[in-house]
Amino acid sequence: MRRSFPIIVCFAFGIVMLAQFFIPSGFSSNVRSEITDWAQIIYASALIVGIVGLMKYHAIRISRRSDGWFYNLITILSLVFMAFIGFAFGRMDGSPFMWLFNYMMAPMQASVFSLLAFFVASAAYRGFQARNAEAVLLLASTVFIMFGIASVGNSIRPFSDIAVWILNNPSMAARRGIFIGVGLGTIAVSLRVILGVERTYLGKE
Amino acid sequence: MNRLLSAILFLLVLFGRSYSFDLHLADFPNDDGTRIVIKWDSLPPLELANINPETYNHERAVDSPDQFVPVSLVYRSDTTLSAVDERLERGRVYYYRLSYEDSATVWHSNIAGPFSPRENWYNINRTNVLIGILITGIMVGFFILWGKKGKSFYLRPIAGLVALDEAIGRATEMGKPILYSSGRGNMQRPASIASMNIFGSVAEKVASYGTPLIFPNNDPVVTAVAQEVAREGYTKAGHPVQFNPDNIYFVTDSQFGYAAAVDGIMLRERPATNLFFGTFEAESLILAETGNSIGAIQIAGTDSSIQMAFFIVACDYVLIGEELFAASGYLSGDPQVVGTLKGSDYLKIIIIALLVIGAALALFNLTWFVNLFVTG
Amino acid sequence: MDFWDKIRHLDRRVIFILMVLGVGIPLVTRIGLPIRITPDVRRVYDFIEGLNPGEIILVSYDHDTGTLPEMIPMSDAILRHAFSKDLKIVGMALRAEGSGIGRQNIRRIAGEFGKEEGIDFVFLGYRPELTATILGLGSSIGRVFPKDDRGFLIEKLPLMQKVLNYGDIDLVISISDDDTPVYWINYANARFQAKIVPAVTAVMATTFFPFLNSHQAIGMVAGLKGAAEYEKLIGISGSAGRGMDAQSIAHLVVIGFIAVGNLAYFLGRKK
Repeated sequence: MRRSFPIIVCFAFGIVMLAQFFIPSGFSSNVRSEITDWAQIIYASALIVGIVGLMKYHAIRISRRSDGWFYNLITILSLVFMAFIGFAFGRMDGSPFMWLFNYMMAPMQASVFSLLAFFVASAAYRGFQARNAEAVLLLASTVFIMFGIASVGNSIRPFSDIAVWILNNPSMAARRGIFIGVGLGTIAVSLRVILGVERTYLGKE
Repeated sequence: MNRLLSAILFLLVLFGRSYSFDLHLADFPNDDGTRIVIKWDSLPPLELANINPETYNHERAVDSPDQFVPVSLVYRSDTTLSAVDERLERGRVYYYRLSYEDSATVWHSNIAGPFSPRENWYNINRTNVLIGILITGIMVGFFILWGKKGKSFYLRPIAGLVALDEAIGRATEMGKPILYSSGRGNMQRPASIASMNIFGSVAEKVASYGTPLIFPNNDPVVTAVAQEVAREGYTKAGHPVQFNPDNIYFVTDSQFGYAAAVDGIMLRERPATNLFFGTFEAESLILAETGNSIGAIQIAGTDSSIQMAFFIVACDYVLIGEELFAASGYLSGDPQVVGTLKGSDYLKIIIIALLVIGAALALFNLTWFVNLFVTG
Repeated sequence: MDFWDKIRHLDRRVIFILMVLGVGIPLVTRIGLPIRITPDVRRVYDFIEGLNPGEIILVSYDHDTGTLPEMIPMSDAILRHAFSKDLKIVGMALRAEGSGIGRQNIRRIAGEFGKEEGIDFVFLGYRPELTATILGLGSSIGRVFPKDDRGFLIEKLPLMQKVLNYGDIDLVISISDDDTPVYWINYANARFQAKIVPAVTAVMATTFFPFLNSHQAIGMVAGLKGAAEYEKLIGISGSAGRGMDAQSIAHLVVIGFIAVGNLAYFLGRKK
C-alpha cells in the first residue's frame, strides 16, 4: 500500500492533467486551477522539509565538533538571524532584511557568478586546441562568434554576418536536434512516471 | 424605358443594401462557454452611408433586450468584421447590437439574439497533439509489453556510462570519496528523475566497494529522495549499515551558494571522481573547472544543451542529450525501461520522416503540412 | 620543460590576472565601442513601441541575485521604455530572490516617471512552483496572487481590476538566468496565446533561437549586449553600454588565450 498508493495517485493526476489539456470546459479549468493551487502548497511545504533537513545536518556537525564546525554554526545563525529580521522588521524597502539582501547576499552571489569569467578563460585556454578537424571547426566558430557577436567585430560586417549565420544555421540545427532528443527523453520519463514503470522517486522498496 | 430601368436599379440598390447588413451570433469554438462571436456585414450600413462613421458601439443586453450597455468600440477599419465578447456567464441569454450616435443621427442595427454561449468538451484544435500522444503511447506501450515478454533490446554503448565503473574503481583504489551532484533541478524535472536512477546504480556499486559517497543537494525534495535511493542501493548491495545519511544533505537552493559549497567540498575532500547528472545552469563550468583543477575524473550529463558544451570542455565523459534519460535503462537493464527507450527511438524515425517531408514541401512553398502541427 | 611547454601549461593564476586587467581597464578608461542593434532586440522594442498607453506588460523576475549585473540593465531599459509610453506594469517573481530584486527595481524606475503603485504598476510578489503559477495565471491572476506584495487585496487595486488573466495582458517579459522562459512559452504561449519575450543572460540566448525562429517568442533581449542595444534604442546611456566595453575587451583577451594556447600546442608539438 505504501508504494501502490502514490503510484495510483500519480497515475490518476497525470491522466487528469493530460485530459484537461484537451477539454476546454469550465469544469476542466476549475480542476486545473485547484490542482495547481495544491501543487504550490505542496511545493511550499517541501521548503520546510528542506530547512529542517539543513538545520539537522549542520546541528549534527556542530554537536560532533566535526572539521569546520564553526562554519556550520555560522550557517545556522545566519539562517535564524535572517528569518528573525524578516519577521520582526518586515522585508519592505529600507528594512534591515533588504539591507542584508542588497549589501551582503547580492554582492556575494554576484561575486561567485563572476568567477565564471575566469573559469571560462581557463577552460578556453586548455580546451580549445586544434587537435583534429572537429576541434578546428569548433575553434573557428568560437572565434567568429566571440568576435562577431559580443565584441568589436559586431560592427564589422563580415564577422558579424558569419557569426549570425553560424548561430542561425549549424548551431540552431544542432540545438534543435538536441531539443528533440531531450524532448523525447522527457516524454519517455514522464510516461514511465505516469504509468508507474518509473518508481525511483518513491525511494525505498 | 430608361427611367423605368433606373428606378428599378435604384430600388434594388436601396432595398438590397438595407437588407444586406445583418448582425449575427455564433458560439466561440473550443472554449469554456464564456465567449460569443458577433459577426456583421461590411460597414457602413446603408443608413449611415453618407456619414461613414469611424467607430461604432458594440452593445450587449443580458436576459432581455431591454437594457443595452456598451461593450467595446468597433472600428470602420477593422476588416475582420467580427468581435468576441468574453467573460460571459454560462446559462444566461445575451443580445447584441451595433449602434452609432451623434448630434444628428441615432442608429441601431438589428438585434442579434437571444443566444447562450455553450461550453465545449473537446478542443478540436488540439487533435494533432492527441494523435501525437496516442502514437507515442502506442509505440512506447508496445515496446514495454514486448520487453516484459522477455525480448532483449540492443542499446549501443554509451561511453560515459561504461566509464562509470572505471571512475568508481579509481576512487576506491585511491581511497578518496566520490562526489555526486544532481544540479539545480527539482524532483519534477525528468533530468532529476534520470539522475536519481543513475545515483541508485552508483550507490549500489559504491556500497559494495566501500567508497565514501558525498552528495550535496540544491533541492530539499531531491535530498529526501536521494537518501531513500541511496539507502535502497546500500541495502541491495548487502551493506545497509554502511549507509550514512549525513553524506547526502541539502545545502541551499541558491545557485551560486550551492556552487560555492560544492567547490569548497571539492577542495577540502579532494574527491577522485565527480559525477554531475541532472539540470545544471551557469554553475556547471564553475563546478567542472574546480573538479578539473583537483585532478578528479569527471562524468557529466545534463538536459541543457548550453551547459553540455561547458561540460564537454571540462569533463572527461559527457552524456549528450537524451543519453542521460537512457541511462536508467542502460544501467538497470529493466526491460520495461529499455522498452520505452526503443519506443522513443522509433518515434525519432517518425519525426525525422516528418521533418524531411515538411522541408521538401516548404521548398515548393507548400506550408499546409507545417500548419498541421500548429495547435490552438 | 621548454618555453612552449611552459606556455601550454601556464599557471591558471596568470590567466586570471590577465582577465582582471582585460575587464578592469576598460571599465575605468571608458572606450565607447560602437553597438549594432540586432533584429531580435529591435523586434522587442518595436512591439513595445507599438503598444498604446494603458496597455499592460507582465514582467516576471525569474532570476537570482548572482546575475544582477546582467539582468538589471535590461530590466531598467525595458521599464523605462514602458513607463515613458504610459504602459502599465504588473510585476511578479518565480524565484524568491527575484521578488526582492523586482520590487525594488520596478519602484525605482517608476519613481523616475512619477508613477503610482496600484494605478500605474503593481508588484504581486513571489510564488513557488513555476509550472503551477504560469498555468494558474491563465485562469485567474487573482487566484494565484490574491494580494500584492504589500498585502493589499488585488481586487481593490485600480490596475488589477482590469487584469483577470493572460487575455488582458499584452506582453509577458520573463527576465531570467535559466530556462524559465521555455516554461512561459510552453504554457503561457502554447495554451493561452500570451506573447512572450525572454530577457535572458547571454549564455542562455542560444536556447531561445529556435523559439524566435518559429515565432513562439516575439524577440529576445540577451545579456549585457542586448541591454546595451535597448539602451541605444531608447536613447539613454546606461550601465549596459559602459559594461559592453569591458565585455568586448574580455572577449578579445579570451580569443588571445585561445590563439596563444594553439600556438604553444603546435610549436610544442613540432619539437
